[in-house]
Amino acid sequence: MGASSGDPQAGGDARDRAIAALAAIAIGIQILEAAIPSPVPGIKPGLANIVTLITLLVLGWRAAVAVTLIRVVGSSLLLGTLLSPAFWLSLAGAVASLVLLAALRPFAPRHVGPVGLAIAAAMAHITGQFLLAWAIIIPHPNLPLVLPPLLLAALITGSLTGILTAQVLADPRIQRHVRKPASSP
Amino acid sequence: MSVGLLRWGDALIGVLAAGIVATAFALAYTPAGEARVLVISQAGAAPQHEPLDRARVLEVAGPAGITRIEIEPGRARCADSPGRQNICEASGWLQAHGEVAVSLPNRLTLQVRGPEPGFDSMHY
Repeated sequence: MGASSGDPQAGGDARDRAIAALAAIAIGIQILEAAIPSPVPGIKPGLANIVTLITLLVLGWRAAVAVTLIRVVGSSLLLGTLLSPAFWLSLAGAVASLVLLAALRPFAPRHVGPVGLAIAAAMAHITGQFLLAWAIIIPHPNLPLVLPPLLLAALITGSLTGILTAQVLADPRIQRHVRKPASSP
Repeated sequence: MSVGLLRWGDALIGVLAAGIVATAFALAYTPAGEARVLVISQAGAAPQHEPLDRARVLEVAGPAGITRIEIEPGRARCADSPGRQNICEASGWLQAHGEVAVSLPNRLTLQVRGPEPGFDSMHY
């Protein structure tokens, strides 16, 4: 995408390496998070979304899609959930949040910061998961009763991951990469 | 953490998200509406609608005996039914839209309905 001013091939390679590294970090976070026992099933912090948001804000939407899909597939391979309901739920949440992030991308970072993006992504994530669960996995008429607490949890965890994302983005080592596309458009 | 990190879009999304959460809670947990009519469905017969306006007792004959249904304003219950496990009686008063009592020996279901469609039914 011409983020680097030098040889486009070299820029592409650097970009691919960055995507691979970010995806690896995201997979690591997701695996660690899977090991944390959750008091309520279905609720977890979603810390891997920090990586998606940073990728979105630093490398753009396509890179964020790549990192997220690699994360979903890679972590499910390591956790042994590939193609199981957990995998599809994870994928549905990831796709839903990516769609909303794509819609919000034009407003970032001028009008919307990481906190807003993270809240929106978390809400979309749980909504996507819920719709898949309700439509296919557990089509029970009373399943909507569990949605409000999950949405509330998404609002809280989204705010937290958004604040963490802002903290990570403020790090000078990340800022060096953030400024690059802005200075050489 | 400085306030400068928050754009107006963040506040807007936060408010919208909080609104969605509040709406979801309100929609999901408001009482399903008060029951106004009792629908008595028996195998092989047309459903019978009884308004829950005044106290009375109905007796419905079925293959296993007589099911006695008590109706009071806004609620109804299966007071006596031939089932040995008293499943129909154990359903208690039906007073929220969609609540159901079933008597299998008499091939009978009792369901109360409210003015607005809420949940189709509640199962335990």
